[in-house]
Amino acid sequence: MDSASYFPPAQNWSGEQVRFMTAGSVDDGKSTLIGRLLLDSKVLMLDQAAGLDGEDIDLAALTDGLEAERAQGITIDVAYRYFATPRTSFIIADSPGHEQYTRNMVTAASVSDVAVIVIDVARVEQGQLKPQTRRHAAVAALMGLNIIVAVNKMDLVGWSQARFDEVRAAFNDVAGILNIKNIAFVPVSAKRGENIVNRGGPDWYNGPTLIELLEDTPRKTSLANAPLRLPVQLLLRDGDIRLYAGRIESGAVKPGDKVRVGPGAFAATVAQVRIGGAGVAYAEAGASVAVELAEDRDLAQGGVIADNDVRYARRVVADLCWLDENAWTPARRYRLRQGALETQALIENVRFVRDVSNLDNVPANELKLNDIASVQLAARDPILADLFAELPGTGAFVLFDPDTNQTAAAGMIREIVQ
Amino acid sequence: MSGEALQAPAPLTASARLDRLEAEAVYILRELSFYKRPALMFSGGKDSAVLLHLAMKAFAPSKPPFALLHVDTGHNFPEVIAFRDKRAEETGLKLIVRSVEDSIRRGSVRVASETASRNGAQAVTLLEAQQEFEFDALIGGARRDEEKARAKERVFSHRDAFGAWRPRAQRPELWGLYNRHIGVGENMRVFPISNWTEADVWAYIARENIELPELYYTHDRDVVRREGLLFPVTAITPPQAGESIERVPVRFRTVGDITCTCPVESFAANAEDVLLETLTASVSERGATRMDDRANAAAMERRKLEGYF
Repeated sequence: MDSASYFPPAQNWSGEQVRFMTAGSVDDGKSTLIGRLLLDSKVLMLDQAAGLDGEDIDLAALTDGLEAERAQGITIDVAYRYFATPRTSFIIADSPGHEQYTRNMVTAASVSDVAVIVIDVARVEQGQLKPQTRRHAAVAALMGLNIIVAVNKMDLVGWSQARFDEVRAAFNDVAGILNIKNIAFVPVSAKRGENIVNRGGPDWYNGPTLIELLEDTPRKTSLANAPLRLPVQLLLRDGDIRLYAGRIESGAVKPGDKVRVGPGAFAATVAQVRIGGAGVAYAEAGASVAVELAEDRDLAQGGVIADNDVRYARRVVADLCWLDENAWTPARRYRLRQGALETQALIENVRFVRDVSNLDNVPANELKLNDIASVQLAARDPILADLFAELPGTGAFVLFDPDTNQTAAAGMIREIVQ
Repeated sequence: MSGEALQAPAPLTASARLDRLEAEAVYILRELSFYKRPALMFSGGKDSAVLLHLAMKAFAPSKPPFALLHVDTGHNFPEVIAFRDKRAEETGLKLIVRSVEDSIRRGSVRVASETASRNGAQAVTLLEAQQEFEFDALIGGARRDEEKARAKERVFSHRDAFGAWRPRAQRPELWGLYNRHIGVGENMRVFPISNWTEADVWAYIARENIELPELYYTHDRDVVRREGLLFPVTAITPPQAGESIERVPVRFRTVGDITCTCPVESFAANAEDVLLETLTASVSERGATRMDDRANAAAMERRKLEGYF
């Protein structure tokens, strides 16, 4: 194959941007699928595609960037890749499928709108998904992502509609247990490039290709209409004017709005909103702003500008994904970060650890790397009583180990303990 | 210029995406208020010009709370150095320059020849500067689309006391709740435009009317053709025996060390033109222009392990 003719220059451009993650068990074809997305979207540069000539293109070789990974033939860390179609630009958080690196999948999920789960159709036997696939579904559910299931290697089963339906039914069973909505299924052959970017395969499938699903899948619901949460990163000064600078995690803000500033939840009025130093009439979730209040309020770095109905709590029930090689034991204290606030926190008890391979809940008094657990947690200072399912920007938190400075856990608030 | 940028054809106005990328970069830059002595790596190149522009926005109307740091290889284009000094003066930020030449004099760096690439040596000088000023965070304009090893880089990338990057020990990074903590002698490398592509950078330069050194736009230059690249002919990069000098309309996609930075043929006279060329480029930025990354697929990764930015 002549690479020069295979890669016509055609990097596209548009305003829409979708961030998605990929998950798949080892050998289910995840790297090949990403390679195929990049190849058929024609975003590869000639120098990056060098060595890809010939009948058997090693698409997977495109994505394993590190020497150590090439040597071991596995992917050890999240890599971020960029490509675009005429309608949409994409950021892929390419996360490893290897079981020991589940924490990297959680990392990738936290910055994504959609998860693409790759399943090798030939390896689903008698309707049983592999444990690792259930784990992927569980993590995506935990993080509140939309899901696209790419049923791969359909060419190896003769594009059997029955086999495709079997995988779909098996995944839907798991999704039912996990209470996942918004799932789409697409039969593909990543190796042959069918139904990824270009159409192919059988007559019985008339649905969208993977790339069309990615362009159209509902993103995480827009947070512009949710309650206002503006964590204050720092104070800026303009002469005598004090400006509270931060990113709007949810909701919107405009001059004249009545707000509460916390953690004391004092009433205040928004006097002006600036972006990049210039005043604006309105700003919403995602914008980095600086806000002036009409009243003189005691609001410091780590505080929050919020809606009138904001509540704070010192004790919550949360799901934790343990990310640290150092296990948790009851004696340990951690730093908790929520929004711009850092305070101390203590895991008071582990309610259960979720065995994500069979979705059972089991008792535990230790948390090890890659464990997903439900815990009761107490914070030294009041934190926002926001549920992750409603306000992911502030319903999420992380724990840092104060001794090693390692990021110890990702947390999602599920209940407020009164 | 800015008026023209606003009237660019509809498919090229990616304003919503640029707004999102800008807001994210501003958020990351504001996170730097955590540190006592941060510095922004400013070479005068396009990515650092964008970074400086974002920093001015992030802290407006105050000044960004950091110094500018340039590690000068001594092999820079004079136009870029002039631009560097001009921007530092305009912004009123303190500019610290530390040069590889001084490291050579100190003996901490040895060079094979006067015209050998000093790119690798930059890492040594950078670490010396960091220790001298006790910088606890260094802000860089690196992007993940530049190179495979960069694709794995965190936004807040922890470095040990030797300045080394250890990919296996990287901290997981979630929801933008960045872990900024460092131990004694350690530092953080921070990359606010990680998620930008080369095209994003040019679209933003066009939209925000960001000034750049003239080298980035078309100009006639003496070059020789070598290994499929155009090599600029300068005092420290003379033609080799048998090579003939041509005068060609070129621009630079990246302006690093003269000894290893090559221009591309181009008539692009402004940021909009460059954006159009970027969107139809068939060779990546580094592939087109950097000699030093070609020798080995892992060249960048190896240099990063040794402290290269």
